[in-house]
Amino acid sequence: MHKEIAILVNNKTTNKPNVAVLKSGKKRDDKWSLLLTEVGKDRSRKAFMELFKHFAPLLKSFAQANRHQGTLPGMAEDLVQEVMIKVWQKAAGFNPEKASATTWIYTVARNCRIDMLRRKSNTQHLPLENEDFWHEPDEETPVSLLRQKRYEEHIKNSLSQLPKEQDEILRKVYLEGKSHYEASCELDLPLGTVKSRVRLALQKLQVLVAADYKDEFNHE
Amino acid sequence: MSKNPLHHPTTEMLLEFAAGTLDTAASICVSAHLHFCPKCRAELQNLSVIGAHLMAETQSEEVDDALLSAVMEKIDAMPSETAHKQEATAEGAYPNCVEKLISNAPRAPVWKRLSKSVNIARLFTGQNKYEVALHQICAGGKTPKHDHNGTEYTVVLQGCFSDERSVYNEGDFIVRKPGDVHQPMGANNGDCICLSALEAPIKVTNPFGFFLKPFLRINPM
Repeated sequence: MHKEIAILVNNKTTNKPNVAVLKSGKKRDDKWSLLLTEVGKDRSRKAFMELFKHFAPLLKSFAQANRHQGTLPGMAEDLVQEVMIKVWQKAAGFNPEKASATTWIYTVARNCRIDMLRRKSNTQHLPLENEDFWHEPDEETPVSLLRQKRYEEHIKNSLSQLPKEQDEILRKVYLEGKSHYEASCELDLPLGTVKSRVRLALQKLQVLVAADYKDEFNHE
Repeated sequence: MSKNPLHHPTTEMLLEFAAGTLDTAASICVSAHLHFCPKCRAELQNLSVIGAHLMAETQSEEVDDALLSAVMEKIDAMPSETAHKQEATAEGAYPNCVEKLISNAPRAPVWKRLSKSVNIARLFTGQNKYEVALHQICAGGKTPKHDHNGTEYTVVLQGCFSDERSVYNEGDFIVRKPGDVHQPMGANNGDCICLSALEAPIKVTNPFGFFLKPFLRINPM
């Protein structure tokens, strides 16, 4: 742990130390987190454009994956625009100690997509934006930071090792925005099978924080 | 703050919440629970990480350069940087989403008497699949024994109450399905305030049959 203590990256123009340092001594050193930090701190347009070039194509594909009613042509581009503008506006609030840039941008995109779908399909005024449902990740303790960083690495490695049928359902849920029920209809599987595949996948991905936890009201 | 909640939403619900597919009213209740529950917040963070990496590994779609120019133009047109607005999180007695529901409502919610020991304040949520409301169970009060026409989610916001199965404290998340008969009782040492979302009973009045098929999810996002 000590070996990795804050390697400072100097910003060429301002000479200000500009790095995502974790308090535990671990550094969030992926390229995108560094760029996003730069956008937040220095309002760097150059860094922002680099982020755009990487994330916009992913966001567009994320937007297009959802083919719910209310999805209109041109919506994918609208979403990319809306998300990237939010990224610019909110970058100062990005804390690399709490999440990677990829996770942070994903949550912005997910919230935007939900709000957009709600606006398009709902004539009623909705008093909440999806952001209002969310809580800031918890205040960091060295243990939780280390755990969080390990978890991101763990996910990166284990997603590719999921059996195809589990991976398929996770993609439907996360990317296409399908409920378990809708996924079961599309894949022509019983709902119970979909649920158990999801459960198995989440077990492998070690989502649960306390393994001994059991919910007595966990009835299907 | 009191001890952590003991009754949680299922992981399946948290997943749907993380993926953004959970019904609005249910999301409000999950969000209220998260306010009290560090364990579920940590799990939710994990679930978001999964979504993020799935997104990062999708086949990317080509984006026209014009889009970048359009975004840069909008950014340039923004008023010069003022100090970043601190995210306005409502600092009230209730979880953020409940505070916002109360403050953004077209009319301020009012307490109405439901029975001798129960008051209700309905909240405007812009959807009609669930009735979302605050319930106040008076200290020592008994509510009528009741069944449920549809699913009911309850989160204790203040105080505690009990029924035949357990005692529920601040932050506890309770799901009741049709057929679950129970009789909540207020604690003796103070009033209890709960947030609840009750699935609207099946109505036959809708000409489109919207409510006639409660099991057909239409996902009114």
